[in-house]
Amino acid sequence: MSNKHTIIVVEDENSILNILEMVFKSSGYQVYTAKNGKEALMMISSYCPDLILLDLGLPDMDGLKIIQSVRSWSSIPIIVVSARNHEKDKVTALDLGADDYLTKPFGTAELLARVRTALRHASGDNDKNKAYEGTFKVGALTIDYDKRQVFKNGENVHLTQNEYKIVALLSKYSGKVLTYDFMMKQIWGPNIGSDNRILRVNMANIRRKIETQPADPAYIFTEIGVGYRMAEEKG
Amino acid sequence: MWKQKLRDGVVTFALLGATTLLCILMQSVNGNANFAQILFVLAVFLTARFTHGYLWGILSSLIGVLLVNFVFTYPYWEFNFTLSGYPITMICMLAVSVITSSLITQNKNQELTRLEMEREKMKSNLLRAVSHDLRTPLTSISGACSVLLESGEQLSRPEQNKLLSDIREEADWLIRMVENLLSVTRIGEEKTAKVVKTPEPVEEIVADLSGKFKKQFPKSPLTVVIPEDFLMVPMDAVLIEQVLMNLLENAVIHSKTATKIVLSVSRTQDDAVFSVSDNGVGIDKEHLLHIFDGYFSGKETPLSDGKRNMGIGLSVCNAIIRAHKGKMSAENLKEGGCRFSFTLPLEEEKHYEQ
Repeated sequence: MSNKHTIIVVEDENSILNILEMVFKSSGYQVYTAKNGKEALMMISSYCPDLILLDLGLPDMDGLKIIQSVRSWSSIPIIVVSARNHEKDKVTALDLGADDYLTKPFGTAELLARVRTALRHASGDNDKNKAYEGTFKVGALTIDYDKRQVFKNGENVHLTQNEYKIVALLSKYSGKVLTYDFMMKQIWGPNIGSDNRILRVNMANIRRKIETQPADPAYIFTEIGVGYRMAEEKG
Repeated sequence: MWKQKLRDGVVTFALLGATTLLCILMQSVNGNANFAQILFVLAVFLTARFTHGYLWGILSSLIGVLLVNFVFTYPYWEFNFTLSGYPITMICMLAVSVITSSLITQNKNQELTRLEMEREKMKSNLLRAVSHDLRTPLTSISGACSVLLESGEQLSRPEQNKLLSDIREEADWLIRMVENLLSVTRIGEEKTAKVVKTPEPVEEIVADLSGKFKKQFPKSPLTVVIPEDFLMVPMDAVLIEQVLMNLLENAVIHSKTATKIVLSVSRTQDDAVFSVSDNGVGIDKEHLLHIFDGYFSGKETPLSDGKRNMGIGLSVCNAIIRAHKGKMSAENLKEGGCRFSFTLPLEEEKHYEQ
């Protein structure tokens, strides 16, 4: 690839930084590294990378501040890396505008897949402006945005208004995690409050309608404590 | 704190009021009130016994003395501080209250110290066991790395790969153990042992878990059985997932010959019941008795020296379930293999249905 994607990796642990650098270089990315928040902010604004991989636990500042600061002037995709016991941080990071998160420890295959997804989302038309037009296909599932209908193996799956809205929303951001909060506000408006039971119940109904095995879903995945993610359109 | 004070105040005044009423009643029957002092001493004693600290006992003795003086000694309904025995009564009542309070406080403190000591002991047991368990894989990782660094060239490619995959396997195990230990810190202070519960749909937990599990053990024969109906269970999802993961891992690693692993969820009137069963070799009878308290009881730890014993994992599971106010159990199945199950109370569900 003559025109490499650039990635800035922000991570304070040397050994992990080394590994990440190697992984990205060997996969054909241009990599810059930063070990603390200040350095990171400086490098991000001077290099304008295609993607930022950000560890939330930095020595000099809260990683969330970096997201806020970057989001104030750019929509560069940000993937957050965090330890497992901190779902709250993940949710906050996503709500502040991070695109995705990875939980330590993660495999390199997973890391690269998430990076590709984030880059694809960024290079394609901007998610936020993407209209509900045409169709979305994943596996045996087809969403017809014009007719507002969902088909599985060609058969119409009868969804309620809200169920359709949820599926359509997830499909628009397929491959990305949507937090409970974000989804609640998109579907039920800003005054819905924080009890997400209604969303969970709707989700259970959707699962029974579109998944062959609700306990082993193929289309909509749960990210425990964070939200939902829809499988991506292939090709 | 504030509530406790309120409670203590109520206790104090209820006791004093009851005593006064009793005295008035008896005075109207007997015509005199010679027993009033004794009854008030009893009231002071009881107050000191059932309230916290010195304040209420002393307050009660002061009020008691004044009441006895005012109501029950001649001249009635008048204060008279010139009575001959008055200072002695006063001093006696004060002494009763102070001594009772101090005895009880001392007793309570002793109880606390004992608990504290038990906790310390548990901690040091855990620490010893954990260090022992972590040392073995660390040694083998470090050893394998030295071999690769010093004489990597002499080894064939498959030999090198073998060493590398050993390193990865050991490191993965270490990561899982450390996750387990981190979970324990999440249960909060041991004294309160509380977890933050939010209602989670069982099917989502199970789906997420079976996905993760299949990634880790792609060839494992896992079957999942969940209830048809939508079931929300209040829990700390990350911790419960961890418990189930530990149980599934044990089923894979310890059952040795298992050709079937079943994760099932059902519900009873008040509980959700999760269970993991396999058709492997089962558990030794002796081991079964102490299977959950290996690391947290005072007993000498690992039964075997094997580095992959179930100790840390199961003790952590048990601690997590207890913090959820559930129960955990293990049994051997008649048809071979064993089953681990735990319950989670559904009680908070009602609150959400309103």
